[in-house]
Amino acid sequence: MSGTLIIAHPVRSAALRVGPVRIAIVGKGGAGKSVISGTAARLLARRGGKVLALDSDPMPGLAISLGLGPLTEPFLEGAAEQSDDGRWRLRKGIGAARAVQRFAKVGPDGVRLLQFGKATPEGLGPIMGSLNAFFQVTHRLATTGVLREWNVVGDLPAGPRQAAFDWAPYADTFLVVVEPTWKSILSARRIARIATSRAGTVALFVANKVHGSSDVKLIEDRLGTAAFGAVPADPAVIEADRRGAAVIDETPACPAVTAIARLVDQLMRA
Amino acid sequence: MNIVVAGKGGSGKTTIAGTLARALARSGRHVLALDADTNPMLGVSLGLGPEETDILVTVRQGLDTGEVEHQPTTDGLIQTFGANAPEGIRLVVCSRIDQIDPG
Repeated sequence: MSGTLIIAHPVRSAALRVGPVRIAIVGKGGAGKSVISGTAARLLARRGGKVLALDSDPMPGLAISLGLGPLTEPFLEGAAEQSDDGRWRLRKGIGAARAVQRFAKVGPDGVRLLQFGKATPEGLGPIMGSLNAFFQVTHRLATTGVLREWNVVGDLPAGPRQAAFDWAPYADTFLVVVEPTWKSILSARRIARIATSRAGTVALFVANKVHGSSDVKLIEDRLGTAAFGAVPADPAVIEADRRGAAVIDETPACPAVTAIARLVDQLMRA
Repeated sequence: MNIVVAGKGGSGKTTIAGTLARALARSGRHVLALDADTNPMLGVSLGLGPEETDILVTVRQGLDTGEVEHQPTTDGLIQTFGANAPEGIRLVVCSRIDQIDPG
């Protein structure tokens, strides 16, 4: 039985992108979102643009794929304050541009990373300030003049939650990472449906960890639509993960990095 | 025994939970399989089939549409909103996020 997905907004084909790449990477757990996010961010930076990478996972891991090593601390501590009514707002004098300038970590190739940190055994309490600052900064990216030319790559946590709750308002494109498994395909379909129900947002599917074209075809058949790109299953990715390093640093010419580079080129043209 | 399976995305929680449930049922125990993920896929690993899993009614949905009035009991919820999975397992899906938050 094969499912059919009707995307409310058609996949943009050859139309020219006038401006930076602004994407959110979504998909099921373990689909490869962080590896694709981190590698794409590095490659975008190498092509000359300014790049802001966003890790909105309360179990952050993007830093590793960017080549910064494991970083779990809240970057935006002190950027927001809580008013008497309990609401969080960015501190006076801290807009999105200042927040990026002051709080983002600079990684290899000059990529800037923002993350709100890791949930503690007590929950999100200790990082609520950082989390709220992060959320507000991401909601101002589109309207902050000096950041308008920046490429933005957002690595979202697994599943549909953040797509549903507007955690990636900066993204005009959701890259839905999908493995050749039913669970991954069902998740991808649902997340794409949610993301594209916001006007002006398109979903592009990236088949990941594929063993040959038959896996791509399986994914496309079950999605009911064509994949925008495909990244092969690659032991180099697993090995880099095992070492806690970025695959683009460990094995820059491996098949997966090469495929992600092609994806980035397509995105810059899309 | 009550078991919670947790871990990072993609580490294999659902596969282990589903297989564990099947093995326990096979050894003669009554098994309630509870899917607490808002992207619920446990049905697939229990052997219910992907498309069937995708459309299972969730407790949240059921309560929201008012299929159960007044304060329901746990047993009532399991009965009303559960689905039968292989080997006599009763599967209950808590909720599923499938649209944008209107707020």
